[in-house]
Amino acid sequence: MTEVKRNKQILRYLLIAVSLIVGSITTLAQSLKGKVVDSRTQEPIIGAHVSIKGDKNTTAGTTTDIDGKFNINVKHYPTALVVSYTGYNNEEIDVYEVTNDEIEISLNENFNAIENVVVIGYGKQKKADLTGAVSAVSIDNIKNVSTSSFNSALSGTIPGLQVTPTSGQPGGGVSIRVRGGSSVQGGNEPLYVIDGFPIYSDNTSAGATSGSATNPLASINPGDIASITVLKDASATAIYGSRGANGVVIVTTKKGTFNQKTKVSYEGTVGWQSLRKKYDVINAHDFAILRNEVLAVTYPNLGEYQYKSQAEIDALGNGTDWQDEAFRNAFQTNHQLSISGGSDKISYALSGGYYNQDGIIINTDYERLSGRANIFAKVSKSIDVGVNVSLSRSKANVAPSSVVSSIILMPSTATIYEADGSYTLRNPFEMEFSNPIASLKEQTNKNIKSNILATAFSEWEIIKNLKLKVQFGVNSENTKENSYVPSYIYEGSASDGIAKLGFINRYSWLNENTLTYNFGIKDNHFDVLLGFTQQQDHVEIAKTGSSNFVTDKLKSSSLESGSITLTPSSSESENSLISYLGRINYNFKEKYFISASLRTDGSSRFGKDNKWGVFPSVGGSWAVSKEEFFAPVAKTISNLKLRASYGVTGNQEIGNYQSLATLASSSYFFGQKVTCFSPTRISNSKLGWESTAQFDLGIDSDFLNGRLQISADYYYKKTHDLLLSVEIPWTSGFSSSLQNFGSVSNQGFEFAVTSHNFTRKFKWDTSFNISLNRNKVLSLGNGATSYTSGNYIVEVGKPLGTFYGSVTDGILQADEIETKGTYTGLAELVAGDQLYKDINDDGTYTTSGDRTDIGNAQPDFIFGLNNNFEYKGFDLNIQITGQVGNKLFNQNAQYLALYTGQQNAAAEAVNRYTTSNPSTTLPRAKLDPAPIFSDRFVEDGSFVRVKNLTLGYNFNKKIARSIGLSALRLYVSATNLITLTKYSGFDPEVTSGDNTVSQGTDYGIYPVARSYNFGILLNF
Amino acid sequence: MTNMKNIGYLFLAGTIALSLSSCVSLDEEPSSSLVAENFYTKEADAISAVNAVYETLHYDAGQSLYNGLIQIGVEMATDDYEAGPRARNSHVRAISNLTHDVSNNRMEELWLESYKAINRANIAIDKISAISPNNISADVQKRLVNEAKFLRALHYFNLIRWFKYIPLVLHETTTLSTESLNIKQATEDEVYEQIISDLKDAEQLPAPDGYSSSDVGRATAGSAKALLSKVYLTRQQWQLAADKAKEVIDTGWYDLFDDFADAFNPATKNGKEHIFSVQYQGYSNYVGNYLAVRSATNEVPGISGENADAYHQESDLYGSFEPTDVRRDISFVTDIVSPVDGKNYHLRVPLLNKYHDENANSNPKESSVNFPYFRYSEILLIYAEALNELNGPTAEAYNAVDKVRSRAGSSKLADVAPALSQDNFRDSVFQERRKEFIYEHQRWFDLSRRGAEYYVKMLKAAGKTQAQPKHIHFPVPQREIDLNPNLKQNPDWE
Repeated sequence: MTEVKRNKQILRYLLIAVSLIVGSITTLAQSLKGKVVDSRTQEPIIGAHVSIKGDKNTTAGTTTDIDGKFNINVKHYPTALVVSYTGYNNEEIDVYEVTNDEIEISLNENFNAIENVVVIGYGKQKKADLTGAVSAVSIDNIKNVSTSSFNSALSGTIPGLQVTPTSGQPGGGVSIRVRGGSSVQGGNEPLYVIDGFPIYSDNTSAGATSGSATNPLASINPGDIASITVLKDASATAIYGSRGANGVVIVTTKKGTFNQKTKVSYEGTVGWQSLRKKYDVINAHDFAILRNEVLAVTYPNLGEYQYKSQAEIDALGNGTDWQDEAFRNAFQTNHQLSISGGSDKISYALSGGYYNQDGIIINTDYERLSGRANIFAKVSKSIDVGVNVSLSRSKANVAPSSVVSSIILMPSTATIYEADGSYTLRNPFEMEFSNPIASLKEQTNKNIKSNILATAFSEWEIIKNLKLKVQFGVNSENTKENSYVPSYIYEGSASDGIAKLGFINRYSWLNENTLTYNFGIKDNHFDVLLGFTQQQDHVEIAKTGSSNFVTDKLKSSSLESGSITLTPSSSESENSLISYLGRINYNFKEKYFISASLRTDGSSRFGKDNKWGVFPSVGGSWAVSKEEFFAPVAKTISNLKLRASYGVTGNQEIGNYQSLATLASSSYFFGQKVTCFSPTRISNSKLGWESTAQFDLGIDSDFLNGRLQISADYYYKKTHDLLLSVEIPWTSGFSSSLQNFGSVSNQGFEFAVTSHNFTRKFKWDTSFNISLNRNKVLSLGNGATSYTSGNYIVEVGKPLGTFYGSVTDGILQADEIETKGTYTGLAELVAGDQLYKDINDDGTYTTSGDRTDIGNAQPDFIFGLNNNFEYKGFDLNIQITGQVGNKLFNQNAQYLALYTGQQNAAAEAVNRYTTSNPSTTLPRAKLDPAPIFSDRFVEDGSFVRVKNLTLGYNFNKKIARSIGLSALRLYVSATNLITLTKYSGFDPEVTSGDNTVSQGTDYGIYPVARSYNFGILLNF
Repeated sequence: MTNMKNIGYLFLAGTIALSLSSCVSLDEEPSSSLVAENFYTKEADAISAVNAVYETLHYDAGQSLYNGLIQIGVEMATDDYEAGPRARNSHVRAISNLTHDVSNNRMEELWLESYKAINRANIAIDKISAISPNNISADVQKRLVNEAKFLRALHYFNLIRWFKYIPLVLHETTTLSTESLNIKQATEDEVYEQIISDLKDAEQLPAPDGYSSSDVGRATAGSAKALLSKVYLTRQQWQLAADKAKEVIDTGWYDLFDDFADAFNPATKNGKEHIFSVQYQGYSNYVGNYLAVRSATNEVPGISGENADAYHQESDLYGSFEPTDVRRDISFVTDIVSPVDGKNYHLRVPLLNKYHDENANSNPKESSVNFPYFRYSEILLIYAEALNELNGPTAEAYNAVDKVRSRAGSSKLADVAPALSQDNFRDSVFQERRKEFIYEHQRWFDLSRRGAEYYVKMLKAAGKTQAQPKHIHFPVPQREIDLNPNLKQNPDWE
């Protein structure tokens, strides 16, 4: 954003300069040559503004070129030049006489970030003028993180933002919470605004393929991003009205600069990734003993060696290591070519990118080809036009669902292939799941996405500073899913091959019209925004397929060859949003700031009695440091600002048609299929949006001219009229009804420090942020105090994501059968069974009656620590992120702890209870495959990890130039290099989907990888 | 310059025009789904609404009433069944062990699924009755309403026997107000009165031959009469039960198949013995009989059964069949030839096999065997039981039982036990029902209707030591009591 502002300034000056030159062609002017460099690095500064001081009626000036050089006309001497450049202190140079020598001016870096401009909703603002909680993400810090999509690189970058991958699948999704999740049933993901186009990330699948969904934002090449701003409090987000409650992430892509020579740059990386950690599982020898033991207990009359004889057991070694077979070191590469520049009328930035990432599980990958063109033109003095167009095509081979759990649960006595070379079809024992290696190698399970996101605007400056901007945008996304399950693997064996095709056509258009006017009356400054926007989303989904093929060769490309046609399905839906918005930013002497905004949204998604919502906000700030009384300490505390804001935002992420009693179609059979129609819900014409009232108090302070910056925020968010599937008596024929009921609060602290520790030859910057969020359910409506949802409870007074399960209480010992037997929940009491606490104190343990709160999936705090070092040409970046106090339900471990001999077991199973080893921690082996959710599998999910470590070397400009380049940089980087955690699963950065209620379950999720990359950056 | 100004005005005008006459509408008109308000106006709509009531007997996927749920939630709690080696759900294993409590989720589902079905029946009855006579023929209108009434009675009959304390909902729930949601429990008599009244209306349905071939499988007058006789039997209204059973016998619409196997043969589905069946059709993009896969083995190469419902060996039902009785080997399987390696596998324990479809050998879930909700043999056994209760074991009662036994290849009761006491004859009929109907969701009802003492005695005899008198009913789901303050728990379960 700083770049954009600078461009505008440059433009304005340039235009004046040009007109002046034209107007005073007869005036004799002498030109003065010079060069502007960075005082620390001695590298040239491109685009610095050079002007002549005191020239009242003109602000004649010029900008430095690609070599940092300038050429300015001076009418008379002596004169003084003023040089300015964003991020640097202004410099004044006196020149006394005409000279032909090139004068060198060096600029010192300015750490006073408050002068920076940040992107906000429908505009930009100087950081100093903000009244709300807005955090700009440092692009330098995220660009090194190896990732397919920008939003997965955001963790630890700013306070108040929690980023958790939902799958480590290449191109896989992430779940993001800005200041905690507040919606129980509605969406909790922030609104993304990409170059002015609002997108709510939706990853619906057509259902032809299986496995984790691709991250919809992976279609945006992270290399194209110029800035990311996260709007957190209501003062900032209320302008997005009914979509602002979960925070807003504003992304702008790189633009060209007017009057700039063409810049060409190439950046490329190659690297590889690997699994952090395997599950420790039992070997073939010990598994055989375990299974024999189970069979002997179940069928005592058939003897002790029902599975393998002692001789066979002795011959067994480790068996198949399914994890070694499935995981690999995976290659990845990324290439980006960008061209940017501009004339006085046109600026452009063009880029092309290619990204290819193999997954750490065999036969999974993600490939993306992307292109972008951002072009701006000045069609007249008062009219600007511009377009941002991005195109991308991605292809992902996705791990079919449940293969990850099968990899863990396949016993080591099983082999990948049978003796005859064909695949082992499935787990040979009672638990039925397919051979994961066969599924991975032989299934086609891919999706191909094409995405066009284009916005075009035209801005007319009607009178000075009164601008009308009209913008149109289109986001079109086409997804094709291909699936083929061949006949020779288990999943396809019963149907002789199953082919499916899925199609999703998603189309969204936007029209946005804004009128802005800024003006000053004496010391009062006003910045007014009025707007009208409309957006419509349209989605069509279709799925078809066939099965029973003569051959496996045709896969999904010849559905007519399958003798059985699968029931096709299709759907179409649409939703619309009409909005009116307004905002006034006022300040007095740049000391007192007030910002008030109002948006009214009409959403088609709500009931007919409740379509329109109003979302107001007000924020104020006081630049204390600008008061006279502050002057004595102003040297030390260069900036001190207090902020306060309050406002209301909404959430409309409930899907379409939820207020209507739509009918579902199904079928029955009377000698042939007949159609049935029945209502899917009781209609609720009162259904409305969910609103979040948020109060924020903040302080921003800079010390020692910005060398040290500290900011802190406290917020309290209360979300009420929750879009809640309120449980209703089943006697109504339905389980629940979507209503506006109940409330949830989030409150927390955010704290961020940026420090420029060393600023000379050795440069060291540190930034640190930490956030605490406390989430609490305040009410659930209808007098209800709690309801359970699987392994979770939603209960008034407790946070969302609370695990609800049994509490283990040791192992039943032989002499305890009489006294403690009823605490096993079993009918037949045998020593060695797991004991549980009798929570409801009724003398027996039951799985449904004796559950309690056994931990929460939300962290106590999250933090990020970023260190940048520069010395000579070297730079080193170390990013550490962490999360403390959250619990994870390791469901993988739960299945490995069922010593049934029907599937694999954890290595610790060798220490299980037996009559000769009366263990007090691990139960006996037996045939009871019902997993009981207990505290035993709820683990501490805290971690601290080196998210990124990058070491780079920037070659000296001279060397670069000697090979025809303007810059050359080489670097190595490592992502997720070191992780400290007690969590026993693959990786602690994991969550089960993006539902806030049921977050933090790790079951069969594709693990996040550790990766290493080598990169090169060339500027021509 | 004027040109530029014109562009500017165009802009302004365009923007104002856009904001005044927005081209976007906020009214939702789903293009791919229908909305209830605009439906139920024509005969075709009415038919699809009634079809939807039938569909509640089994939904496409998962465990729904006659596609697994009753097996899992009800039959597990008898002496003949248990949770199989692959029943992974602790709630299911709790039912099998009789350690279930007031929040057992399978019992909750029985309640929910039944009321879902009843709501659909109520919708059909309310909406179809309101369709203008111009849009539907009077005969069809009446028939459809009566079909819905039959199904409503069927579900209430299940609910009242399972839970005893249930709300009687007779109209669609259209609003979310507490009055319409929080309904009181009705007395057992009120519920039965409604069941009987619905079934009496349903007796006006067409005879089995009154439907065209594209409607085979719908409820008939025979279905209603047969169910009515069973309701009377359950209520111990012996005379009414006997009369109604006799009425069914005398219609001549039904008879036993000569071969017991034909009762479970897809080729003879909806045949002369089938009074009402839940329809299944495998390999057709429709639903196969899930019970076939639930009890099938997965230890034989090439057969992917679920092995989740198992025969409870301690009941020794398997051993109680006479050697000549064909029912044993149709109901159970002990040896299977693998479709992959051609070898014979002897199973560790006999597996339930009634719904096995030869055509779906390797993929049992595609079984096309219908679920026989009511077979003619049951009418004969109801008749025998009711007569015995009225007048002791008369020749006519013997005769009815022996029809069933002879067809199965078993000896005649009149030959092997000609002079039974009334009590012993009753036990014989119950044992006959057990052998005839294993895996047809009869056992739990038979055990519970003879009372708590009998239920506990039989279960304990089969080694289910946790059986208690309260187990003849299921607890009212705690969730319902929590949500609806007007509901009370069954005193036995408090």
